[in-house]
Amino acid sequence: MKRSFKLGTTVLAAGMVSSMAFAETYGPYPITEKSYSGDKTNSVSYSGQVARNVLVDSLKSLAGKGDGGGNAAELKAQMMAYFAGSEEDLPIISHTDKDGFDIKQSTINEISSGKNVKGKTYKGLVPGWPGNMTGPEVLEDMISRAAMSNGGFDADTGMDWGQLIQKFALGAMGFNQAVDNYLDEKMTADNKPNNKPYKEGASYTGKEHSWDEAFGYFGAAAHSMSLQPDQAYNITKKKDAAAADANGDGVIDLKTEMVFGNAYYAAGADRSGKTDYLPTITGAFIEGRKLITSADGAALTEAQLAQLQSYASVIEEEWTKVLAEATFKYAGSVYKDIAKMRADDSDDDAEAYRAYVKHWGELKGFSLAIQTGRENLGGTAVRLNRLIGFGPVTMDESIVTGVDADGKFVKDAKMSWNAYQLNMLKVQDLLIKEFGVEARANDATADLASLVKQLDTDSGGAETD
Amino acid sequence: MEFFDQILGLFSDFANPKKRVFAGYLGISFVIAFIWLILFRKSSIRLALKRIFDPKVFFSGSAFADYKIFIINRVFTGFISPLLLTQVAIATAVYMALVRSDILPWGGMQDVSKPVVIGLFSVAMFVVDDFTKYLMHRWMHKWPILWPIHKVHHAAETMTPITVYRVHPLEGVLYASRSAIAQGSVISLFYYLFGDKVDLYTVVGVNVLVFIFHVTGSNLRHSHIDIRYPKWIEHIFISPAQHQIHHSVAEEHYDKNFGAALAVWDWLFGSLHVSEGEEDLQFGLTEAEGHSATDLKTMYFAPLKEIYGVCARTCLKVRASVGGLANRFAPSRAREELTEQRKQET
Repeated sequence: MKRSFKLGTTVLAAGMVSSMAFAETYGPYPITEKSYSGDKTNSVSYSGQVARNVLVDSLKSLAGKGDGGGNAAELKAQMMAYFAGSEEDLPIISHTDKDGFDIKQSTINEISSGKNVKGKTYKGLVPGWPGNMTGPEVLEDMISRAAMSNGGFDADTGMDWGQLIQKFALGAMGFNQAVDNYLDEKMTADNKPNNKPYKEGASYTGKEHSWDEAFGYFGAAAHSMSLQPDQAYNITKKKDAAAADANGDGVIDLKTEMVFGNAYYAAGADRSGKTDYLPTITGAFIEGRKLITSADGAALTEAQLAQLQSYASVIEEEWTKVLAEATFKYAGSVYKDIAKMRADDSDDDAEAYRAYVKHWGELKGFSLAIQTGRENLGGTAVRLNRLIGFGPVTMDESIVTGVDADGKFVKDAKMSWNAYQLNMLKVQDLLIKEFGVEARANDATADLASLVKQLDTDSGGAETD
Repeated sequence: MEFFDQILGLFSDFANPKKRVFAGYLGISFVIAFIWLILFRKSSIRLALKRIFDPKVFFSGSAFADYKIFIINRVFTGFISPLLLTQVAIATAVYMALVRSDILPWGGMQDVSKPVVIGLFSVAMFVVDDFTKYLMHRWMHKWPILWPIHKVHHAAETMTPITVYRVHPLEGVLYASRSAIAQGSVISLFYYLFGDKVDLYTVVGVNVLVFIFHVTGSNLRHSHIDIRYPKWIEHIFISPAQHQIHHSVAEEHYDKNFGAALAVWDWLFGSLHVSEGEEDLQFGLTEAEGHSATDLKTMYFAPLKEIYGVCARTCLKVRASVGGLANRFAPSRAREELTEQRKQET
């Protein structure tokens, strides 16, 4: 993970100054591939990744459509089409028009055709999910359970399928593909070299397209360098059309103007004012892409490759922290939700429990996502998985402990709310220690800090007896 | 206007009930001193007032030095306090250390009722604060490296409530750190065990026990009004007279009565000296200490020089003892000694 990180940061810092000054966009970049004879003028292409980001978000929306079993078969088939691919042109479910926020595309094929999620999901084992499954198997398992559920929510086990699917996929698909594939082996000399097209007839070189693909998975808008964290955040929320519509054509182009999952969480952390994940990562992508373009279709020299890899290191390091920040945030949410449920004597227990399950889904999803990177997190992953468990503490204090031979959840252990709240504190502590999270949204020790301030005891200072 | 605000800011302690020199406490201290002199010293009203506002005390060179140090240290504290570890940082660190350790059950005492938690917490804050003050104060006297700093305070030859500020800035740093560590630890421990029920019983925003300490004449500790308590009470609470004994130059009073509010620590650790009606104690340091009650330069810089001296001497001693050991075990030296011994034998 430390691939000449220092060099990378220094180069990046220098590069950032220039890119900040002109608020550069990611592309367009000229064609450098010598074998290309068509009439395209822009070599940037990552619409396949945008399509996949939209497929994942659409899966999240579909996960909430179950009616408790009646439409299970039908819903599962529909979700599988988004997950594993379809002959038909699927409608975009997640990113639809919202008053004043008009979206250019309405079907997946309008972005890119023939794409699926399954083929690009982390192939390794996912130890944090019961049943000894690989990444694609976990997502399929979640899809099946979502289809059976009522509105994507399972009160008995404490599962929110839409959240689990989407957050896990942000790592298992986007993060994994980018840092463990495109920015990793594809940035070596012989793999997808720069003096050959990515594939025959393509308008981009091997390195150009590999880099673009990674950027596409990150999910930032091309003009992210000119966006404030709040603006980037509100683009995802479909609340700031003006900020999104970079070319001013009145519609939001999902291919270049939308902010998707991973970039959205980078912006979310940056809203704290303590971090710069979105501009740092986007800046590194831009600098790397410019470096590749500057080679003008020739094979990259060793020095150029080394520099490119240092940009890749910055991206990987910061992106990992973004996932850690999100995990931290939701561990804090779960902590607070439990406190609220325990303190609250009012009747909206069900509502509070629903919010808790939603936050737990996000926590679990992100904690699994962070384990799908290039690095094996070793003991850190084990601790995360054990502290968070296979399921949250449910209403009767029972928790999911595994699956039986038929794949049904088993709940044969109990855990107190108190103990689980303590686990959330430990999760946050672990994330600070292992990943150095800085934004620290929903820090569970914030109440202690405010208590100290509120008590405002006299520190004595320069007084003595 | 801003300049004016800053000047006013220097004197904000007089308007802050968390501070000993809060005007209200000073007023109450005056009343207590007045009643004491009338009732127990059978003084006339005129003589009592004359005694309390003795110009020889308030306008002495030593007192003027106190006033100047008060102002200088306020400015200094403004620069230094942002650099110190805050109570929040310490409380959070201690809290997370408890979370990691699993020694105590987290939230394990959440069933205790809120009034009990607040009562326990108020007492714990006061007692721990007082005990750590005792310890720190004792170390200031006993450790050769700290005594030069604390001497500044003891160089006072007359005492007024402002003498509480007659402190070397380094001592201010030590005391502020002590307080942050002591209070930060108690807060985090209670929060760990009792959750968000933790709170203080306060009067005018101050821990009720601290408030009681102040309204019972804490300001008279640094004064010439030697109010005594019955002997048995002086084993529990330090009387103003006992603290004045602590400032006395008499040899039999050395290293006695380190306590702030409670005398039990002195009693426990053998440094208690109850008042015996001593009159006209002489405050300050003996000449051998080579300090000044009035010279600011000496007060701020002599301690640094002395500390350097202590360190240098310690280094020399260590070197000498290490050197001695080395010589003793050096083979050549051993051989020489052996040869010498044989020569003598023959």
